[in-house]
Amino acid sequence: MSVTLGAGTGPLRGVKVVEIGSMGPGPHAATILADLGADVIRVERPGPAGPTRSTDLSTRGRPSVAMDLKHPEAVATVLELVESADVLIEGMRPGVAERLGIGPDECLARNPRLVYGRMTGWGQNGPWADRGGHDLSYIAVTGALHPSGQDPARPHFALNLVGGFGGGSTYLVIGVVSALLEARTSGLGQVVDAAMVDGASHENLMWASLIAAGVVQERRGVNLLDGGVAQYNIYETSDGEHMAVAAVEPQFLAELLRVTGINPEISQDMSAFKAALTEVFASKTQAEWTDIFDKVDACVTPVLPYSRAVRHPHMVERGVFVEHEGVMQPVPAPRFTRTPATLSTPPSIPGEHTREALQAWGIDPEPLIESGAATQAAR
Amino acid sequence: MIELGQGSGPLRGVKVVEIGALGPGPHAATILADLGADVIRIDRPTPGYEPVSRATDLLSRGRPSVVLDLKQPDAVAAVLELVEGADAFIEGMRPGVAERLGIGPEACLGRNPRLVYGRMTGWGQTGPWAKLPGHDIDYIALSGTLYSLGQDPQTPHFPGAIVGDFGGGSTYLVIGILAALLESRVSGLGQVIDAAVVDGAAHENLLFASLVASGQENEERAQGTWGGQDPTYAVYRTADGRHMAVGPVEVQFQRELVAVLGLDPSLIERPADFKATLTEVFLGRTQAEWAEVFDGTETCVVPVLPYTEAARHHHNVARGTFVERDGLVQPGPAPRFSRTVAELGAPPSVPGQHTRDALLAWGVDPEPLLATGAARQAPTLTDSGV
Repeated sequence: MSVTLGAGTGPLRGVKVVEIGSMGPGPHAATILADLGADVIRVERPGPAGPTRSTDLSTRGRPSVAMDLKHPEAVATVLELVESADVLIEGMRPGVAERLGIGPDECLARNPRLVYGRMTGWGQNGPWADRGGHDLSYIAVTGALHPSGQDPARPHFALNLVGGFGGGSTYLVIGVVSALLEARTSGLGQVVDAAMVDGASHENLMWASLIAAGVVQERRGVNLLDGGVAQYNIYETSDGEHMAVAAVEPQFLAELLRVTGINPEISQDMSAFKAALTEVFASKTQAEWTDIFDKVDACVTPVLPYSRAVRHPHMVERGVFVEHEGVMQPVPAPRFTRTPATLSTPPSIPGEHTREALQAWGIDPEPLIESGAATQAAR
Repeated sequence: MIELGQGSGPLRGVKVVEIGALGPGPHAATILADLGADVIRIDRPTPGYEPVSRATDLLSRGRPSVVLDLKQPDAVAAVLELVEGADAFIEGMRPGVAERLGIGPEACLGRNPRLVYGRMTGWGQTGPWAKLPGHDIDYIALSGTLYSLGQDPQTPHFPGAIVGDFGGGSTYLVIGILAALLESRVSGLGQVIDAAVVDGAAHENLLFASLVASGQENEERAQGTWGGQDPTYAVYRTADGRHMAVGPVEVQFQRELVAVLGLDPSLIERPADFKATLTEVFLGRTQAEWAEVFDGTETCVVPVLPYTEAARHHHNVARGTFVERDGLVQPGPAPRFSRTVAELGAPPSVPGQHTRDALLAWGVDPEPLLATGAARQAPTLTDSGV
């Protein structure tokens, strides 16, 4: 791969981003920026690529440079990259970037226009800022985990989507691009503190509204979106698969009743209605129900595993998933009419592009490789 | 009296026209308003389905509400006049509806070629299901996201509308709008953003796509670390029927966990025994007791708090994650900015509360519109005694 700057597709073409490699939401944010056309350079620790790196889609679309940040020359190189960058993204615990010599003060001193994006779970301040944690921990204390799922007995968490991605990476990207927009006017950068506790709370704004309105209870299985309502729920089909039923509005409910043949009177009694829907959906396979509801306005859809979702006609026609260099993956989102964003390079291995990427950013890689501050991985 | 350009946050001075809708569209507009943009919300004269009274609808905070009857040509002309001075536009109707009303992308970009026209839907603007209705669970069901959610092997569990409408919907719309705005500052040209929940929910789930591609993930629920198979990434019940979130994925945190609980460290090597032991141990004390035991430890063990208690948790309080304004407890703007700090703006509005003031501030004369019924002015919250 030869690395050429400014060649990205999408609205962020020409935006230069230094990513300090980490796990989870940081790389996801960098993927969003790279997907939308930015020139991201991923700086990460040298080391062998794990067995799953070749399919790690959160490293796609950008070169990987392996550097040892305990080495002063590597730190100097990051600051040199920062000089010409628009954005830096890091996701270490508060204070670690500062100790390494690549904290906001050093970076903004080198480039006052830099937007310095920080991704953490607990945030840069507060009593738990220095503690460890994971998605589950962050959403637990924000009140986002408690109402999750339809089981009155316990909450069910949604992988690490709610904290890491929904409330993490996307809010970091929103912050970074907002600050970039502002920097184009003011000529000044700043620090963006993206914390999953903040993002997950903000993402959950509707729940905050429902609580404030007094129309929900803080128990599962009794509210609109937690299985308390028969027409917004998941039902098992005869082959052990499931259908998602979301016939909230009267016109969709009427269609649901018509197609399932359930007496509208039964729908007045929530538990009888739930029992009737359970029985009806258990009488046919998911494929049969999918056919029946395919052209019906009732908000009833099959719950597809990922491997079948990628082949659903709607997803195929929209091109939501594509196979790129042998790996099936979601394409950049959202879609742009004039500056469409397209997939570029596949996932990298650490240090795969140390030479080419540093050269493209105007840095001579050879002395760094010689001193061990940087490492070029073998292909 | 409404003055433009007074917002706090990095988006101060960015002008956005929002066609009022439900769910992800208003959430996106709230994010933009929270970060300082001048958003003007256009509401319908008669509200459709509204699950929450507008007085507590935090998805309408931070911006004025103008009621326009878009079936009247004068009201459509007024929207196009607003568009002329706007940077961005948000609508969330089914594909084709905005076009029929006369405020579609062509009409709007014809008036203002720099406009970023943001469209929020579930299924997207194209594809065989584009014109079908749907809700959050339908979109995440079809994008292969819902199938693997929750820890129950028998059935998926969905987390409200967070994963689809908000995680995969509004946030991706905002990202698209901001990216296109940045680009338009250079090119001088706007464009259309097609933000679909199915696309966003798929993209949000990139890690899962990676795991499936690697062959490490068999797509069944309650499998793998993040699915909740491991004893060290799970939810445990406490003596008072509440729960603790236990997430020490790394071995150093697991060692700390067994140390705090006084357990045999060899349990770490025996997952089934470890899970059974943790299940029993956590049942031995209340959530409040466990919260105190684990507070400040390096174990990734925290209480699963209901929202009303989360707003009072000492870490959230210290950070100001939640703020109280006019008696309403609510999450503050996110993320945080060091120089252009975003502060909470106006409270939720009632539809048409600011029709006169907001139209005036945007340079549109409200009186002829009010006279013909194309626009309506609602009494203020205090007038109506709400």
